[in-house]
Amino acid sequence: MDVLQDINLEIDAGDLIFVTGSSGAGKSTLLKLISAVERPSSGTIVFENQNINFLNKNEMPYLRRKFGMIFQDHKLLYDRDCFDNVALPLQINELDPSDISRRVRAALNKVGLLNKEKLMPITLSGGEQQRLAIARAIVSRPSILIADEPIANLDKNYASEIMNIFYSFHQVGVTVIISSHEAPTTSIKHKEFNINQGKLNLEKNVPLLT
Amino acid sequence: MMFLVIGITLSLPSIGLLFLDNASQLSNKIKYEAEISVFLTKDIIEDQIEFIESGLKKNSLIKNIHFEPKQDAWDKLQTKLKLSSLEGGISENPLPDAFFISLNTLDSDQIANLINDLKTIEGIKEIVIDGGWIKKLRSILYLIKVGVYTLGALLIAVLIIVISNTIRLQTLTYQDEIEVSRLIGATNSFIRRPFTYTGIIYGFGGGLITLGILKVIVIIFNLITHRIEDFFGGLIVIQNFNLEESILLIFTAILAGWLASFIAAKQAIYRLEKNI
Repeated sequence: MDVLQDINLEIDAGDLIFVTGSSGAGKSTLLKLISAVERPSSGTIVFENQNINFLNKNEMPYLRRKFGMIFQDHKLLYDRDCFDNVALPLQINELDPSDISRRVRAALNKVGLLNKEKLMPITLSGGEQQRLAIARAIVSRPSILIADEPIANLDKNYASEIMNIFYSFHQVGVTVIISSHEAPTTSIKHKEFNINQGKLNLEKNVPLLT
Repeated sequence: MMFLVIGITLSLPSIGLLFLDNASQLSNKIKYEAEISVFLTKDIIEDQIEFIESGLKKNSLIKNIHFEPKQDAWDKLQTKLKLSSLEGGISENPLPDAFFISLNTLDSDQIANLINDLKTIEGIKEIVIDGGWIKKLRSILYLIKVGVYTLGALLIAVLIIVISNTIRLQTLTYQDEIEVSRLIGATNSFIRRPFTYTGIIYGFGGGLITLGILKVIVIIFNLITHRIEDFFGGLIVIQNFNLEESILLIFTAILAGWLASFIAAKQAIYRLEKNI
């Protein structure tokens, strides 16, 4: 039994996308397929005019670096401080230490955590941890941000803070894809893909692949 | 702790090789004379025997000549076998005259040339090279060498397994980091790198400890033999590995460490790939 069936959708650069649906509907799976963490059992995923099904294992890492990813369980590393957490993507890209410092601090500043650079993630609040995860996702300045239920466990104040950060990135042209089990409440122009038991809910005005 | 494990494990074959090296050197030092036996034709005449003998005496490669006439040889043999010629049913002396010669050289080429030259002389029927006990010693040393190398190969295999296991445990400890790194686009070789560095350091440190252990053993051994040298009639000194051999040892240890960690890290990542 496939988690997702008959999914056809198109995402343009600079879009603000919401993937909605109840828990277990398949939102995470869709995001994992888009970010090349998982391969589809059938069908094709085309990214920048390239069918990513045919990418071999050695090319995968380079594709994944194009996305900034925020995971459902944010996957912060608790054995290092905030600075080192955010620096990880840049270390993977093997940047100079001076470049890394500059960019990490810029990212921390953007999410308002610059003064907590040397703290360990365990000492941060839930909202701050989420912001740290966002900082790590944006530090390499990807053109696509993918966030899997970023505000699921946050209270209203933190939630709107986080959403504003995403909207600000969208404003400067980043493609933002957010999954949530609630309907989006923003007035910013966006697309919504609602998934119901693995299938796209066509009633919700979802643009089809043309 | 890993350093100790590696160091001690590598010491075992190293000590074996060290003693082998020294034993070979010793056996080379022992005065060994090449000896050949020259057997003459049956009905050779006295003049010819004298001719051969004078020729042999002039040869620079030949040190000593001992002529044994066939009658002496026959008498000796009969005494040994407790026979008298009639009882044995042999009426005639079957043994030839012979020269037993010791040479001034150990060089096998020179010996071969000498023998070829001697064979051309009329009256010489057969030439036999005597090896004696020194050859046996050298073959035994060779066998022991093969044994030590085999032991060494097995121990290195053990080392690789032990290091591999340790690195595998380390990958489990760093599982979270490996997972996140893979998700945000780290290549497998990037993820492997810290683990292979660890393996190389284990090998290097362990190799140094082996050299240290060898040094201590050599010093102790030489102290002991210094005290009992009278029994041996001479000084026996064990020499340690020279610089080349020491570097080779360290290099082997590093290679083992690298290989072990490379395999362990590669396997760990593969297992993770299947789950993500």
